[in-house]
Amino acid sequence: MAGKTIVVTSGKGGVGKTTTVANLGTTLAKKKYSVVMIDTDIGLRNLDVVMGLENRIVYNLVDIIEGKCRKEQAMIRDRKIPNLFMIPAAQTREKNSITPEQMKELCSTLAADFDYVLIDCPAGIEQGFKNAIAGAETALVVTTPEVSAIRDADRVIGLLEAAMLKHISLIINRLNAKMVKRGDMMSTEDIISLLSVPLLGVVPESDEVVVSTNRGVPLVHDRSSKAGAAFRRMAARLNGEENLPLDGDGSQGFLGRVKRLIWD
Amino acid sequence: MLSILRRLLGNGPSGNIARKRMQFVLMHDRVDITPDMMEAVKNDIIKVLSRYMEIDNRSIKVNLEQGKDFMALISNVQVKRVYRHASSI
Repeated sequence: MAGKTIVVTSGKGGVGKTTTVANLGTTLAKKKYSVVMIDTDIGLRNLDVVMGLENRIVYNLVDIIEGKCRKEQAMIRDRKIPNLFMIPAAQTREKNSITPEQMKELCSTLAADFDYVLIDCPAGIEQGFKNAIAGAETALVVTTPEVSAIRDADRVIGLLEAAMLKHISLIINRLNAKMVKRGDMMSTEDIISLLSVPLLGVVPESDEVVVSTNRGVPLVHDRSSKAGAAFRRMAARLNGEENLPLDGDGSQGFLGRVKRLIWD
Repeated sequence: MLSILRRLLGNGPSGNIARKRMQFVLMHDRVDITPDMMEAVKNDIIKVLSRYMEIDNRSIKVNLEQGKDFMALISNVQVKRVYRHASSI
């Protein structure tokens, strides 16, 4: 069995990589797939707090790579879902504590045991980025509808293509449908045509995201959350369930709403 | 309120401005072509065309434009006259 290795990256910081990893990982695990999430942001780890697992950390990614523990010892099991695991980053080390080759090896051994290996990439395009993408076959590039995030996403897409990743797709986070309608925000179509990579999904801007990270419980647990629904649809597409309606700018009208009711 | 302000200032919707700015920025980021290089391309085009026709050197424009799936180099040149011997060169 060989699972999928997927890196979530963006170039720019603060656009929602960690939130995306937490929510996609949780959704896939809820569907009974075995999932391990790796935080590769060494020195600035955050996936643990977003998942609400910060109190359980004993060993970390660097410990596995340096052979200080077995990989099973560093994997923290989720509080709610038994087939969901997280490997935290080391907080007091540096990005160059590990090499791309070591990451590649770790990812392939994890892919042998898990259906999904989700890699949370640090911001930037330096060593940490190179480590994070080394073991991945698929990349999800997260951007927001802002010029700085889009420009950085374009840089990252160029680097991913140069690194010969097999699949690259786009996640647009924090889209504000009202602003798009008013003409004060680039639309989904605008962003796709600028970046020219296929779209995996669009997450609407939502206060719920902050609330869920405050609690340390991923949004997808909340059935009524719109942003959570967007993540669930993305996970389904990632899982090869093709016939899902694409998230537009929230302006799909009645039919769109009916479709959403059916799919969510 | 915002729209009134916008009408007073005479600007379009900012989303559109952002899109157009990004088209330009990304294109230049991707190809990494310097203004010097564009100037050299322009001069070479003038040189080649001048073998066949008389053109207005000052009117020539050379621009890179991003299409949907491709990038295009678009050049506009004012032709004054085509040399008669052009076909025999």
